[in-house]
Amino acid sequence: MTTAGGTPLFLLEFGDIVISFTPYTTSLFILALVFTLLVIASRPERQLDIAFGTDAYMTKEISLSEMRFRRFMAIACGLASMGAVVTGDLFDFCLFTALVGICNVGIVAAVKSRHVQNAAYQYGLVALAATVLLFGGSAMVAATTGTLSLPILATGTLPAVPLAVKAFIVIGVMGEGMAPFYAAKAEMFRAPGAPYVIMCSLSSLLIFLRVIEVVVQL
Amino acid sequence: MIGDLLYLIFAMIFGLLLLGIHRKVIARIQRRPGPPVWQEILHALKFSFKSTWIPQTASDTLFVSVVLIAIGIWTAAFFVVLAGGNLLIIFGIYMLHKIVEHGFGLSSGSPYGKFGGVRSVISAASEIPLFVSVAAVVIFTGSLEIGDIVAWQEQAGPLILAVFPAALAMYVVILSKFPFSPFSIVESKEIVSGYKTEHFGVWRAGLEACNGLKTYVLLLTFIAVFFGPLPFLLILLAMILITVSISFICAFSPMLSPFDSVTIQTLFTGLMLIYVVYLGVYG
Repeated sequence: MTTAGGTPLFLLEFGDIVISFTPYTTSLFILALVFTLLVIASRPERQLDIAFGTDAYMTKEISLSEMRFRRFMAIACGLASMGAVVTGDLFDFCLFTALVGICNVGIVAAVKSRHVQNAAYQYGLVALAATVLLFGGSAMVAATTGTLSLPILATGTLPAVPLAVKAFIVIGVMGEGMAPFYAAKAEMFRAPGAPYVIMCSLSSLLIFLRVIEVVVQL
Repeated sequence: MIGDLLYLIFAMIFGLLLLGIHRKVIARIQRRPGPPVWQEILHALKFSFKSTWIPQTASDTLFVSVVLIAIGIWTAAFFVVLAGGNLLIIFGIYMLHKIVEHGFGLSSGSPYGKFGGVRSVISAASEIPLFVSVAAVVIFTGSLEIGDIVAWQEQAGPLILAVFPAALAMYVVILSKFPFSPFSIVESKEIVSGYKTEHFGVWRAGLEACNGLKTYVLLLTFIAVFFGPLPFLLILLAMILITVSISFICAFSPMLSPFDSVTIQTLFTGLMLIYVVYLGVYG
C-alpha cells in the first residue's frame, strides 16, 4: 500500500484507528518532536525594545507563572501537531488541527499586551470559523466514500471525493494560520518568548504540509 | 558513506561558490568590481575562526539549536534528492526553512532579528507556488517520487516543455530565496541583516554553510524535476546558468517593500493556483 507520502514504514493500530508512519509523515513527526523538546528545554529570550526618539532601550521580562502557562500550551500544541501529522483518520486529523488552533491562542493568551491580545482574538475567530469547513469537509468525505480512514481512501477504489470538499478541508486548515489568514495572526509574533511563539508558526506549517498529502490521496 | 559525505561537502562549497558568482554578476552589471567569486566561501571560513558568543538577552538553547536544525534539514533534503525520494519532503523542508528563519530572528531578543523573523512569517505566500509546481508535476507524471519523475522524462522529454508555468513558479520560489532578490525582505539593510543579525562566529559559519547547501539542493531539485537526467558536469553548468539569470533579475530590480513583496507573491500564487486547477480539470 503506497500513499502520497510514500510506502508506510510501519502502522500503529488502535482498533480501527491507524497511525501511519510514511517517510513524509515521519519527517514531519520528527520535526514536531524536536521543536517540542526545544520548548521544554529552552528559556524565553528577553526581548529588547528601543524607546522611539531616544537612545534608551527596554528589556521585556517574562514572569515565572506566565512562562509556565505558555510552556504548557506550547507543549500541548506540539503534541497536537504530532497527532495531526501521523494520524491515519480524517476526523482525528480535523480534531488535532482544531486543537492546534486553540493551543495557538493559548500560547499568547497570558501575554499582557493589547496588540497581542487583539491579534489572538481575531485569529481565534478565524480559526473558529475555519473548523466549520474542516469538520464539514470531513463529514462530506464520510458521506461520499463511507470511510474516514486515510489508508483506505488512498487505495483509490472508493468513489471520488468532489473537488469542493477537498477545497473545504484545505481552506479549513488555512484558516488555522496559513496565508492569507495568517494576517490575523501576525501581531501575535510581537509577543516575547521565542521558543513558545515559534510553535504557533511551526504547528500551522506542519498541518498545512500534512493536509496536502491528505488531499492528494483523497 | 564517505563518498556521500564528500559530495555533501562539495555541495556546500559549490552552493557558496554560486552565491559568490551571484554577487559578482550583480556587481558587474552595476559597473562595480564586486567581490571575488569565492568570497562567500571565505566568509564561511572567516566566521568559523571568529570569536563566538551568545547575546545576554538570547534564549540560549533555541539560539544554538536553530543553527543545527538549519544544517540538519538541508542535509536531509540533499540526501532525499540524491535518493530520488519524495518531492513532498523537499516541499516540506523548504517551508520549514521559514521556521528556521523565524527561530534565528526571535531567539536573540534583538529588534532587528525580530523584524527579520516576522517578515519571514508574513511572506508565507511565497511558498505556495512550490506546491503548485508539485501539483502540476504529479498531474503529468503520476508520481511524487523524484526518481520516478526523472525516469518519466527519460521517456517523454523534459517536463519544462509540458508544464512551463509550473517551472516558472519554482524558479520564482528559488529567486525569492536568493540574496538581493526583490523578495528578500527578511535580510534587507534597513533591519541590518534581518534574522541573522545577532548570529556571529561559528553560528554564522553554520548558517553560511546551510545557505550554500540550500542553494545547491534547490537548484538540483529544479534541474532534476524539470530537465530530467543530465550528466554531472552539465548539471553544474545548468546551476551556474540559472544563477546568472537570477543575478540579472536581482541587479535590475529594487528590493520591494514588505507590503509590495507580499502582494506580488500573493497575486502570483493566485495565478498559479488557477493554472493548476485548470490542469486538474482539463489537463
